[in-house]
Amino acid sequence: MKPRILARALTAGLVAFAAARPAAAADKLHLYNWNNYIAPETIKRFEAECKCEVVQTYYSDNEELLAKLAAGAKGYDVMVPTGGTVEALIKGGQLQPLDLAKLPNLKNVDRVYLNTRWDPGNKYSVPYAMSTTILGYNDQKMKELGLPTDTWAVIFDPKYLEKVKGRVTVLDSQSELFAAALKYLGYSVNDVDEKHWRQAADLIKKAKPYWAAFNASSYIKELTVGNIWLAHGYSNDIFQADQDAQAAGRKFRILQGMPKEGAVLAVDNMVIHKNAPRPDLAHKFINFMLDGRNSAELTNLIGSGNPNLDASKYIKPELKALPAVFPPKEVAATLEQLGELTPAQRRLRNKLWTEIKAAR
Amino acid sequence: MAARAGVNWGKWAVSGPPLAYLIVFFAAPTLIMALASFRTPGDFGGLAPLVAPDGTLDLNLESYARLAESTAYAEVFLKSVIFAIVTTVACLVLAYPLATLIAQSPRKYRDLLLLLVILPFWSNFLIRIYAWMIILGPNAALARGLNGVLALFGVEPVPLLFSSFAVLVCLVYVHLPFMVLPLYANLEKHDRALLDAAQDLGANAWQRFWRITFPLSLPGVYAGAALVFIPALGIFAIPDILGGPNDTLIGNLIKQQFLETRDWPFGSVLSIVLTVAALALAGLAAWIGRRGSAGAARA
Repeated sequence: MKPRILARALTAGLVAFAAARPAAAADKLHLYNWNNYIAPETIKRFEAECKCEVVQTYYSDNEELLAKLAAGAKGYDVMVPTGGTVEALIKGGQLQPLDLAKLPNLKNVDRVYLNTRWDPGNKYSVPYAMSTTILGYNDQKMKELGLPTDTWAVIFDPKYLEKVKGRVTVLDSQSELFAAALKYLGYSVNDVDEKHWRQAADLIKKAKPYWAAFNASSYIKELTVGNIWLAHGYSNDIFQADQDAQAAGRKFRILQGMPKEGAVLAVDNMVIHKNAPRPDLAHKFINFMLDGRNSAELTNLIGSGNPNLDASKYIKPELKALPAVFPPKEVAATLEQLGELTPAQRRLRNKLWTEIKAAR
Repeated sequence: MAARAGVNWGKWAVSGPPLAYLIVFFAAPTLIMALASFRTPGDFGGLAPLVAPDGTLDLNLESYARLAESTAYAEVFLKSVIFAIVTTVACLVLAYPLATLIAQSPRKYRDLLLLLVILPFWSNFLIRIYAWMIILGPNAALARGLNGVLALFGVEPVPLLFSSFAVLVCLVYVHLPFMVLPLYANLEKHDRALLDAAQDLGANAWQRFWRITFPLSLPGVYAGAALVFIPALGIFAIPDILGGPNDTLIGNLIKQQFLETRDWPFGSVLSIVLTVAALALAGLAAWIGRRGSAGAARA
């Protein structure tokens, strides 16, 4: 899952306030999580089971988590960072190894999502939930305009963009936008060839005049109210936009478009911080969340992708049909997780990104 | 009373705490930032160790050299300075009549009017910016009215939200009270007898303003301009939320270095350049101001 930074920062305070409860239990599990990334009933059940209290604090993107830990933040037991960030945390020595004997429910997880290249054997991390970075669109408008919704071309090719000028947003994220452009050009999202990056930057520069904004914070609302008709965004967010549009009684729906060229898959993983005060509770919590029912509650709440095969029977049927929730094999084959870059590569990409932003 | 010999403990007791506060929370972080600008980014965020494994100090000018690698940085800087200047001028033009009105209104209403100026501070900064998203949205009355008028002249509809216009409107909106308050504090103290005397001597309304009120209000103008210009130069939230694809400012660039790119040294370099630019511009303004008032005194 990924940010809607400011909206979350605003709500996080309210949620934290609302979640305050009398501190009866002495045992506390400190969960450092995305906002709204665990169902309230799931927390209640875990608290009853472990006779402890779950204390949640929130981050709004992986970089915030990394920046906080790099600055020496302590006191977290379980954290839920995304794939590439797990790599940074492992190599940065921020995690403690998991005791897999205490996680029997790991058997529920689809093998496709285990044994990542940054954590072979799942020594440090186990999958929690996931999202894909895809297209979200206003079904009515896209039909009227006769635009395809299964290809990145619709946000990069001026031939299509002419029809939706000023009604398209793309994520304000270097990694995500470069990944989409690289996929459209037929490369891997983790391609680090400078020539390919420059090709991607040129593609983005040519498409930029047609976009309304680089936006990672408010495109959900803009889709919901009908200001924006097409967005490059996270599957969970697009799901939420559709829910909101339906709740508001809009005549259109916000649907998910899975680009045939492939897309970024973001698997969020449960990890334990090296200085976790309660590794025992942390293991209990992780095993609890690997249970199909508990995992399904999150998907039912926010439409997150689910790596847990056992969760399937608890998930609402209309959600099960979405390719972003349980990607079918042929779709899964086109999805890729973002890896880490070296500092030199990050600098180069940032320079290209700044040139994109400054270009007119 | 004459100063006693030796240490003036009273003076230190009063000025010590704020001085200590500034040293701890302003000077020290600035020095840390200056040091960070010469260091190397760590592989996974943060900074590489200051002392390399071979015992040498890892300090270099690489991050400074990067400024010259691309003209994009200079372009973003220039754009930020232009936005900040436009914001400052717009705030001055809007705030001057308002501050004059408050300063000249009956004493019993002044506190109420001032309260109204600072009322927006009672709600969160971000919430106020989000409110502008609704006001400027394509389906709101403002955009529909404007585009309706433009359509009469056969002009294509213009988007208000996600544009430089939206960023500037919000920059002015957010910073306006910072211009009104110092101007009011200054204008309120003006002696009306000066204006009466000028009128007796035959000065018309414009001459009374331009030759008397305005020169006397210059300290308020400078204070207000500094309070608006400097924060407007570094802001990132407003272009993030309301800006279009071309509205990246230097604040966004700095934020990017610390988060997305995890390049603290380059972020520090950009921050230092921003601070130096702000100081230089403030110094330049003060210098012009002094020359201006010296010129006026001679005339």
